Amino acid sequence: MMYQYWFLRLAGVGNAKKRSLIEAFGSSEAVYKATRGDLRSYGLLEEGQIQRILEQGKAWDLEGEYRKFCMTGQSLVTLEQKEYPSMLAKVFDAPYGLHFLGELPPENANMVAIVGSRNCSAYGQKMAQDLAKELGRRGYWVISGMARGIDAYAHQGCLDGGGKTVAVLGSGADVCYPRSNQVLYGRIQERGCVLSEYAAGTPPLARQFPARNRIISGMARWVVVVEAREKSGSLITIDYALEQGKDVYAVPGRMTDPLSRGCNGLIAQGAGIITSVEQFISNIEEIEFLGISSHLSCQEEIFLLEKEELLVYSCFDFYPKNIDTVLVESGLELLTLLSIIMNLCDKGYLKEIFKNEYIKCK
Amino acid sequence: MYSLVHTATICGIDSMMISVEADISNGMPMFSMVGFLASEVKESRDRVRTALKNTGFELPVKRITVNFSPANIRKSGAGFDLPVAITILAAMNEVSRERLEQVMLVGELSLEGKIFGVSGVLSMVLCAKEAGMRCCIVPRENEREAKLIPGIDIIGVTSLGEVIWFLNTGEKAIYEEETPEEKKEQNLPCHNFSEINGQQLLRRACEVAISGMHNLLMVGPPGAGKTMVAKCIPSILPPMTLEEQIELSKIYSVCGLFRERESLMEQRPFRNPHHTISEQGLTGGGKEPKPGEISLAHSGVLFLDELTEFRKNTLEVLRQPMEDKEVTIARVNGTYCFPANFVLVAAMNPCNCGYYPDMSRCHCSQPSIQRHMDKLSQPLLDRIDLCVEVSAVGYDDLIRPGGANESSEEIRRRVIRMHQIQKERFEGTDILFNSRIPARELQRYCPLGEKEMAYMEAMYKKMDLTARTYHKIVRVARTIADMDGAKNISRKHLQEAICYRGMDKRYWENCL
Repeated sequence: MMYQYWFLRLAGVGNAKKRSLIEAFGSSEAVYKATRGDLRSYGLLEEGQIQRILEQGKAWDLEGEYRKFCMTGQSLVTLEQKEYPSMLAKVFDAPYGLHFLGELPPENANMVAIVGSRNCSAYGQKMAQDLAKELGRRGYWVISGMARGIDAYAHQGCLDGGGKTVAVLGSGADVCYPRSNQVLYGRIQERGCVLSEYAAGTPPLARQFPARNRIISGMARWVVVVEAREKSGSLITIDYALEQGKDVYAVPGRMTDPLSRGCNGLIAQGAGIITSVEQFISNIEEIEFLGISSHLSCQEEIFLLEKEELLVYSCFDFYPKNIDTVLVESGLELLTLLSIIMNLCDKGYLKEIFKNEYIKCK
Repeated sequence: MYSLVHTATICGIDSMMISVEADISNGMPMFSMVGFLASEVKESRDRVRTALKNTGFELPVKRITVNFSPANIRKSGAGFDLPVAITILAAMNEVSRERLEQVMLVGELSLEGKIFGVSGVLSMVLCAKEAGMRCCIVPRENEREAKLIPGIDIIGVTSLGEVIWFLNTGEKAIYEEETPEEKKEQNLPCHNFSEINGQQLLRRACEVAISGMHNLLMVGPPGAGKTMVAKCIPSILPPMTLEEQIELSKIYSVCGLFRERESLMEQRPFRNPHHTISEQGLTGGGKEPKPGEISLAHSGVLFLDELTEFRKNTLEVLRQPMEDKEVTIARVNGTYCFPANFVLVAAMNPCNCGYYPDMSRCHCSQPSIQRHMDKLSQPLLDRIDLCVEVSAVGYDDLIRPGGANESSEEIRRRVIRMHQIQKERFEGTDILFNSRIPARELQRYCPLGEKEMAYMEAMYKKMDLTARTYHKIVRVARTIADMDGAKNISRKHLQEAICYRGMDKRYWENCL
């Protein structure tokens, strides 16, 4: 393990080179012990790199550094171990090793990546949560980046559904970024893991975030985009996913909605469309879709509402709408409308997401 | 020879009687004034000497001492020139001392002997009346203001000569009586609710707010009409009682904002300070404390547009006056208390760009929205009873001709009735409006039935209310029930009140 940690921290040699070295020498220990002649004989490395490996090998305090690492409480997994996520191992520039807190997904885990924009709408939030919750309930692992917005809701939804989840960070695994997700960060470690290719204590630098996206898409079998603007960072993940040959799905939005333009664009280019949670699951499980959708099935339930309540309920949407708009659409008296809205809120059909702005909950 | 005259000085918005004594005796010729004087009062020595000379009196070559008592109160203001001049003349036996008994004098002198107006005359005359004076000699500029107080003789004068003439003969100078202009049509506020199309929710919230004198916060995108609606609010404010009028007029008089008026302040004030205002400008202050905007808005409306642009410190000073309905300012020279019983109406954008939560237009990041909200503190938000969202006006609403809307006059009629109901309810207590019911009296004035209690209990948990917000909701529900003509508060009243309840940052944070 000490040798693996040394090899992981070895600077100046890229992930692809490290991988070739392991293939050539068999293990990191062999690389550590190799002479200048051995390193040269494979013709993989430039002179400068060989020099660096030898220098760093001498200067490195093998035991001391590894002990220091163990003190941080993090664990380590490298390409040399069979615990290394198998899907990720197939990616050509997969990181040699990963630092993580929590438990790694088992070999046979079905992993779905859910990504999307940080600035999401109430609709995006609901879709991410519903999707992740159902996946979590069915034992899928949801993987995402623990950013604000869709990422956080996907983790949350999955945990709420009783599933396990993986968060791939753009900082060291022990650095919680953004700070506002502190609670979530703790919950993920209990049911799943927080992992990172960066050493403990690495600050969240902007350039590290696009790179971690390749791990998100690399570990997953399916990648879902919930809400993305036309030039969204989430689309970087999709680019990696396509490169890595993963199945890409997108949640469609309204064509006028700039927040869904990226998703709708992906669908136009041939990404899978998610018309309901059940359709998506039957799609990935390769079973026949029975045409049942939980978002539509509550339609039966709403017939229990009174006539006016039904009218008001149907005026609302999964996008926030304010009272004044509904007032005009429904043609009801203001006071009647207010009382109906409050009743619907009590019954859990509507939710106030901002002052006097409501969305459907069912 | 010794003489004494009365005058008054402003302390806060009330006045205090001051005696000015003069003594002329033998000794080294000099003119000295004592009695804790501000520099403008000390300067009055030179003005008085010159004004007397130009009116035809030489000061005797003797030792002249003028004393102001009580000596522990700092005298400031320009109104002491006239009393000093007259008391010296009385000591010189130039005017009759008998006629000076029970007379209050106030006025600023020019070197020529002319008398200029001063501020705060209304308050001084009130004080003189209470002190049992029979007559007040005031600058002509302030005559109209002083005459608003019944039961005391007011003599308006323009020069020192006139005062001497009056004191010696008892005859008033005769002026061409200004043709009393026909009482101007009460200058009605130029904005009317009939001009507002759509915005049903906001219209209703404004009516509830003014009916129960609840504080109101409007949140909405730029251009939605927040400011326009706020400017309509004066048109639905009910008339004031005489006591309220006098109290408000006193404040304006002290601030020197009263001069051109012909009557007491009949309309409730609507103050709209700019967001660059300082703490002192808002609450009142200065070396000699003067009332600030919140006192000028006493018994009326204080409108703060772009609430988030105000400096945080400035807003935080509102907290205590909003609770106590008065503001206490402590300075070296004393502690002053100004009334500040106002309704706060505020408007703000929900985020920096103004469009949140319309995510297709809003480009603010979550932390930036958070920072925007953090400009307001929760304790301040807790003091706001009603909060409504103002949505952008749709095109259909925009082009509709305004006539069809309910006009301010109709709304005002209902508001007046609401105030009447509250007056009857709080007969014999010092409570004026539903919004001022103290928490301990809530049970008495706003009893909730069993079902309503159960509903509120459920809401208390669900919405994470605090004791203060709970009370606010019940008070607003009381007003809504009044407007409904109902004796008891029922569930629908509570529901409506909850719909308007104040901003709670935590509640939305959980949703974000």
